[in-house]
Amino acid sequence: MKTLIYIEHRDTKTLRIKNKASVPLRLCVFILIVLTCLPTRIQAQDSLQATRHVMRSVMIGAGHNNTFETYLSPLEYEGPEVRFAYETMRMTRLMDGNVSAQNLFQLHASYTENISQTNHTYGGLVNWNYALHYQFRPAKGLKILFGPMLDLNAGVVYNRRNSNNPAQAKAYGGLGASGMLIYRFRIKNYPLTVRWQANLPLLGVMFSPEFGESYYEIFSLGNGGRNVVFTSLHNNPSLRQLLTLDFPVGNTVMRVGYVCDLQQAKVNNLKSHTYSHDFMIGVVRNLYLFHGKKHMTTPPKITPF
Amino acid sequence: MRKYILYLCITVQALFASCIREDISGNTPESNFESLWKIIDEQYCFLEYKHEEYGLDWDEVHTRYAQRITSDMTWENLYEVLSDMVNELRDGHVNLSSSIGTSQYRAWFDAFPHNFSDSIQSNYLGKDYVNSSGITWSILENNIGYIYCESFSNGIGDGNLDQTLNSLAVCDGLIVDVRDNGGGNLTTAQKLAARFTNERVLVGYMYHKTGPAHDDFSDPKPVYIEPSDGIRWQKPVVVLTNRRAYSATNDFVNSMNQFPNVTLVGDKTGGGSGLPFSSEIPCGWSIRFSASPMLDPEMNHLEFGIDPDVKVDMTSEDIAQGKDTMIETACRVLKGQ
Repeated sequence: MKTLIYIEHRDTKTLRIKNKASVPLRLCVFILIVLTCLPTRIQAQDSLQATRHVMRSVMIGAGHNNTFETYLSPLEYEGPEVRFAYETMRMTRLMDGNVSAQNLFQLHASYTENISQTNHTYGGLVNWNYALHYQFRPAKGLKILFGPMLDLNAGVVYNRRNSNNPAQAKAYGGLGASGMLIYRFRIKNYPLTVRWQANLPLLGVMFSPEFGESYYEIFSLGNGGRNVVFTSLHNNPSLRQLLTLDFPVGNTVMRVGYVCDLQQAKVNNLKSHTYSHDFMIGVVRNLYLFHGKKHMTTPPKITPF
Repeated sequence: MRKYILYLCITVQALFASCIREDISGNTPESNFESLWKIIDEQYCFLEYKHEEYGLDWDEVHTRYAQRITSDMTWENLYEVLSDMVNELRDGHVNLSSSIGTSQYRAWFDAFPHNFSDSIQSNYLGKDYVNSSGITWSILENNIGYIYCESFSNGIGDGNLDQTLNSLAVCDGLIVDVRDNGGGNLTTAQKLAARFTNERVLVGYMYHKTGPAHDDFSDPKPVYIEPSDGIRWQKPVVVLTNRRAYSATNDFVNSMNQFPNVTLVGDKTGGGSGLPFSSEIPCGWSIRFSASPMLDPEMNHLEFGIDPDVKVDMTSEDIAQGKDTMIETACRVLKGQ
């Protein structure tokens, strides 16, 4: 419906231009044809348009990781980390079209070393966040997004020299809150978009062996125990933060970012944390999706982001 | 809106205030000593049992060994003191590994007769023995099959076991010799044991620590041996043991001991019934320790070994004649003499 109003507005403007006799006659004819032939079709597509604008971004990055798993060692391990992030965002029809949906898929891998440099661990985690954000627009260029989030994680930390506790599996997920600030501004007519996002898990479940339980007991003997525990802020105080800056370079929108990923848990008397600080770089594509797999690139200003 | 931002900031601050970290300070002799003592205190599974067995008091050990720790001691001295401390546990599964060396409690076999000689064993194997996927087998002159399993560290193939047992099917009985087998993978040991039962048998229980207190344990869970789908041995079996049959081999001997056609011959096993875990201290030295005890079906601990049905040591007279007293005894048991 909003698009229809926009068309009507253009129509009025076009007629005004026509009155000034500064537009070729064939353009006026074309516009009249469009206005007479297409309104029904535009109305039919209108409700789809807003939800078919999609922002996609891909980023890769590297940084620092601090891993701590008392199931493996009482020491903290530190070292480099690489990260991949894929994000999509589009508007939904929820709450009068004010709610956007965000998919944020991240994968990171680290190679860390203990303080005495005598041992290493390999770590990796796949994370998927799906968030529905209500978009507030309190001021020009500023958006504040807030809403619920689904958070799923799977990964492993492998210690190179341990005997029957060589690795700790990471599998946890749940519901949480997600907030975002998006601010569009210009510096000397150069458009920039800055975004800060924080995802906070609030309630979920986590897999964990018991304090001194081996994976041999769980999987080979089938003797589990309290291996799935409920989590909340008291035993899983974690936070993922994402700061990005979008800027155009030619026809491409580039994105640089910083990820501060703090994952912590204290379950079954086992403590763990993974602190990641990564700098990211990537590209953003704003698309309009058609039925099937077809899509069309749209200008950066048309985006649910 | 400010209110929401304020809430968000408070939440973020609360998260940073609730960092989950370990309280380890520095890499001094004192901090390494405390770290090692704490690992054992919280994670070692036999502190209560060994207190009952021989009066081990881990708090008293702390008091006694703390006096030997000084801030200016060398790494070699620290290693020596810490090795002595963990040897108080009398556990072959407890090893402190460093660039200086790996500590090992050896009294569980050093204080007893060795009861095995590979040169004497070669007199029995002859020249026609077969090596097959980690096991060595032969048919002795009196038509007794003989399998020697040196280690469970490497897997034993199902096909190899089928072929071996099929080849030994003509024998009147079988000796499974696990002397000097220091252990390896429990699954490998259980795979071999599964060849000697036709039904699912309860062979023991296993449990683990659920918290840092000395008595934080899970309920013991039963452990069963399921019969193998491959060729299974149906005739009498003797398992030969000595003090160096340890860890996963101790578990194998316990499993075999639950089967009706099996007789244990030789010396008491070395024990080592705690599944070992690993950890480390700030200086990077690795510590291995028992984490999950295994029990027999009567809930008895196996940490200090399993007694044989027929106790026999190798005699010096037999050794002088190139005879293995234990193999000879095993043959007599199998022949019903």
